[in-house]
Amino acid sequence: LLLLQRVLLLVASDVDALCACKILQALFQCDHVQYTLVPVSGWQELETAFLEHKDQFKYFVLINCGANVDLLEILQPEEDAFFFVGDSHRPINVVNVYNDTQIKLLVKQDDDLDVPAYDDIFRDEEDEEEDSECDSDGSEPSEKRRRFEEAVIERTMKRRQRREWEARRREIIFDYEQYEYHGTSSAMVMFDLAWIMSKDLNDMLWWAIVGLTDQWVQDKITQMKYVTDIGILQRHVSRHNHRNEDEENSLSIDCMRIAFEYDLRLALYQHWSLYESLCNTSYTSASLKLWSVQGQKRLREFLADMGLPLKQVKQKFNSMDMSLKENLREMIEESANKFGMKDLRVQTFSIHFGFKNKFSASDIVYATASLMENIEKEGPETTNFIKALDSLSRGNLDKLHQGLDLAKKQLRAIQQTVASCICTNLVISQGPFLYCSLMEGTPDVKLFSKPVSLCLLSKYLLKSFVCSTKNKRCKLLPLIMAAPMDVEQGTVIMVGIPPETESSDKKNFFGRAFEKAAGSTNSRTLHNHFDMSIIELKTEDRSKFLDALISLLS
Amino acid sequence: SEAKSGRTDLIFLIRFRHCCLLRNQRCVLAYLYDRLLRIRALRWEYGSVLPNTIQFHMSAEEVEWFNQYKKSLATYMRSVGGEEGLDLTQDIKPPKSLYIEVRCLRDYGEFEIDDGTTVLLKKNSQHFLPRWKCEQLIRQGVLEHILS
Repeated sequence: LLLLQRVLLLVASDVDALCACKILQALFQCDHVQYTLVPVSGWQELETAFLEHKDQFKYFVLINCGANVDLLEILQPEEDAFFFVGDSHRPINVVNVYNDTQIKLLVKQDDDLDVPAYDDIFRDEEDEEEDSECDSDGSEPSEKRRRFEEAVIERTMKRRQRREWEARRREIIFDYEQYEYHGTSSAMVMFDLAWIMSKDLNDMLWWAIVGLTDQWVQDKITQMKYVTDIGILQRHVSRHNHRNEDEENSLSIDCMRIAFEYDLRLALYQHWSLYESLCNTSYTSASLKLWSVQGQKRLREFLADMGLPLKQVKQKFNSMDMSLKENLREMIEESANKFGMKDLRVQTFSIHFGFKNKFSASDIVYATASLMENIEKEGPETTNFIKALDSLSRGNLDKLHQGLDLAKKQLRAIQQTVASCICTNLVISQGPFLYCSLMEGTPDVKLFSKPVSLCLLSKYLLKSFVCSTKNKRCKLLPLIMAAPMDVEQGTVIMVGIPPETESSDKKNFFGRAFEKAAGSTNSRTLHNHFDMSIIELKTEDRSKFLDALISLLS
Repeated sequence: SEAKSGRTDLIFLIRFRHCCLLRNQRCVLAYLYDRLLRIRALRWEYGSVLPNTIQFHMSAEEVEWFNQYKKSLATYMRSVGGEEGLDLTQDIKPPKSLYIEVRCLRDYGEFEIDDGTTVLLKKNSQHFLPRWKCEQLIRQGVLEHILS
């Protein structure tokens, strides 16, 4: 069907989408399907791209965008346009779910969607015509009058029923759409597609792994879902990579191989020094409270407990003594348990090719994300997208290394900002939520004008705050974070994240809350991001917007 | 010769000037010939229609020469490949695959392919198209071939 048609790929700007895009590109190239790839970073770009291209294409594939809104209404496509939506945003808009003709959703079968039943939300318009037939036949006036009264009663009954139905419908839809969360990674869905077609490769498997790890790094899925998905991927990894175990038939060292690892949760530690990694990973930094003097002392005790000399630990990881690196993971885990860090190890995968190149999945996620949100502008926004897309191919190691350097800068900036926020008590409780606002002159504040960086900062800040505060009630509150976005235009970017608890289901209600607050105060807001919990607004409207939110959520 | 013999002291000057003139003539000829070679290369690079900016810099005789060259190349190509002729300006490097992935390096606007479909070429958009449709633009530097 698609052999002679061209397809338009609209791809959102996050790492999971990039990975899904790479897999899909490989599949298309295999089958000689002509496509055009357009990166989009928000609803406005999506609409513009669609308008520009709609005359040339009939088939559209949307990756990590479009599932949570009424697509047909926003894009107003022609009758014969066909959409494939592979999006991990939930809840999926009910119109998209129940549309049979134009929209096809790419979702895994066992993904729990919880969509309300069709009859509860849609009602066919057949009842309206029946009422008018009643008074057409000629008969005695009294009979006619009786029949007329009956008809009127019937009509009012029907109207009341309809009003009740509509009220119930509003309630059902409100409950359904209230919380935002994420489903299976789009990259994993694409890999599944490739597997069903028997066209899956080790490369695609790696991209699926990176997509899943991106969801974990950004805290978008629950721990249980992550572990389940890792299990699924592990089966594929052993299927593709079992040749490495066999000594005689093993592949050359230059071939790409993926390995399952029960690795340390320290960000970029193999490309940095162990000390830096411990300081700049949110988990260790928050648990040890590294923003305080006591925290620094505790870090030194931690290192001493493991028998790692400071001089060694501050060197580049690759230059550490082999004797120290041998049982590093077990040693660190043991000591970490003593210091209250029970989850320092995490199940993940790593990739090897050649003698020098070994990367863990989270390394790639950090590197690609910082490439995509690089503030050193070289041309339009899409250049960063293209660079990040390129860095996912193994041939572009220079871009990957550039990404790793940027990621290190970003993580350091995040930790310093978190430390200063906690030390200067910038996180204040507003009642139903915590609020923190970055001032304009703060160092590295430009880094946080981008959505993914700001979200990472917020999550790390919340983690650290929960560890630092003694107020039991505050520990359970969600956080809203604001940072200056464009100084000339006077706009601020604001994100809302759910509270940090052990068994959090990662469901975020800020999307709807922001919409309501913006509506009720007539603030000039821009809900451009595909994640509804990230908005931009004018600095002047900030205080009244926040007041509205407080009253809304109390 | 009588006039000449009366001015034997000027012979050397005349000879010197003559040598200079011959040298200048050689230089000019070399320059014009080099221009012709470049114009010939333009046919292979740009195809049979030259962009206006280049035509502006060519003299009328050069344009005439270009048209003649075009004609003889076309006649040759027609005679070589059987009934339809063979387009020698395609596939200058041996192609590796039927379809290639290209990235647009600058905003070009709409590009019409021979089967009627149009592609909108914006900076940084990527496309997967049949090889022969992209070759022209790759040579012009609008598209970049991506090897993954």
